[in-house]
Amino acid sequence: MNSIHPFPSPVDTPTGTRASRGLGLLVFLGMVLLTLLGLFFTDEDVVQGSTVRLMYIHVPTAWVAYLAFIVTAITSAMFMWGKQHSLTFDRIAGASGEVGVIFMGLSLVTGSLWGRLTWGTYWQWDPRLTTTVFLFVTYVGYLAVRDLGGSHQQRAKRSGVVALLAVLEIPLVHFSVVLWRSLHQEASVLQPNGDVTMDGLMLFTLLFGVAVFTLLFAWMVLHRQRVLTLADAIDDGGLEAALQERRSEAN
Amino acid sequence: MALDDDSLNLAPREAVPTAQAVRSQKRRWKPALLLVAILVFGGVVVTKFLSSAIDYYCNVDEVGVRSGCEGTRRLRVQGAVDEGSLKKAAGMTIFSMSFNKKTLDVRYDGDPGGVFQECIPVVAHGRMVNGVFLSDRIEVKHSNAYSTENKDRIDKAEAAACSLPKL
Repeated sequence: MNSIHPFPSPVDTPTGTRASRGLGLLVFLGMVLLTLLGLFFTDEDVVQGSTVRLMYIHVPTAWVAYLAFIVTAITSAMFMWGKQHSLTFDRIAGASGEVGVIFMGLSLVTGSLWGRLTWGTYWQWDPRLTTTVFLFVTYVGYLAVRDLGGSHQQRAKRSGVVALLAVLEIPLVHFSVVLWRSLHQEASVLQPNGDVTMDGLMLFTLLFGVAVFTLLFAWMVLHRQRVLTLADAIDDGGLEAALQERRSEAN
Repeated sequence: MALDDDSLNLAPREAVPTAQAVRSQKRRWKPALLLVAILVFGGVVVTKFLSSAIDYYCNVDEVGVRSGCEGTRRLRVQGAVDEGSLKKAAGMTIFSMSFNKKTLDVRYDGDPGGVFQECIPVVAHGRMVNGVFLSDRIEVKHSNAYSTENKDRIDKAEAAACSLPKL
């Protein structure tokens, strides 16, 4: 029997490049600065005191989750309606979906902690919290659909449909505090009337956090989609190896 | 049985697009559009349904007036804690809260803790008993405004918070 090693070696095919390492370094420095700003340079809120510092993590994680799910939908659409049906788009969609689920989970945890300190409770089934957990569960389902099996093309088509439907939940989650009476406060920055109800350095730190977390998202998706490419190559290599084995048996 | 290499080649074939396949691809748009239309319609229905069914709280001025806010049932009532109304006696927290020029007296068994204070909106869980709202749970509904706790401005900010029109 022939000895076949079709699998790409992680040593030979690292997911890092000079550019991605540079991006990683930028994210690290940004996180350090965000920590300093959030914990030491910004003042306490007049009502919430030091509790407000959770905002510098909670809001960016929620933003990244929304962004990730939108990227998942866009790249899924690019796979489905692109001429090439390139699996690269599907892998970006999958990677973005995974990162989005992580950040949505972080947003739920930080929001729950913040809720305990301000509202006095970790959880209430109010419209914002309920729709957010619904969104989270939907994307866990999306990741499950990706793992159902079949060819890469089948996976991409199946999960692409789910991604295009699931993204419609985001406006419902975002505007839940406007549509219904919610314990959760309304937006402080992206208000319909354009007002910003936040002091200068607090606002800067929040926006800086959003920018740093967005770069972190880009860095994570970059690496994860490269890992998914390698995983697909292993799958393909495994199939090719099985076929070659059958051929050699037939001969 | 002798098999040649081609018969064992199981690699996926390139699909050659035919006129029929192109038409079939166009037809796939119709169910997709129908699905989107159904989802939008479903979203509108769910939104309307949820609007009337899952409002998290009744405002003070709606207690005993609005459907679902009857004084005979357990309620969640939202209003701003009135300035100067907050008292503590025998383990009870007593205060009044207002919304839209209506005021409700509240007795809470315990200390709400956290950032509970005068002039901020809260949601009280409980029941109406003899015109007083007996609460067993208080949640602070903090606003979307964030201001720095600058010592020079605290008095001014607090004064401003209570001078706002009642929510």
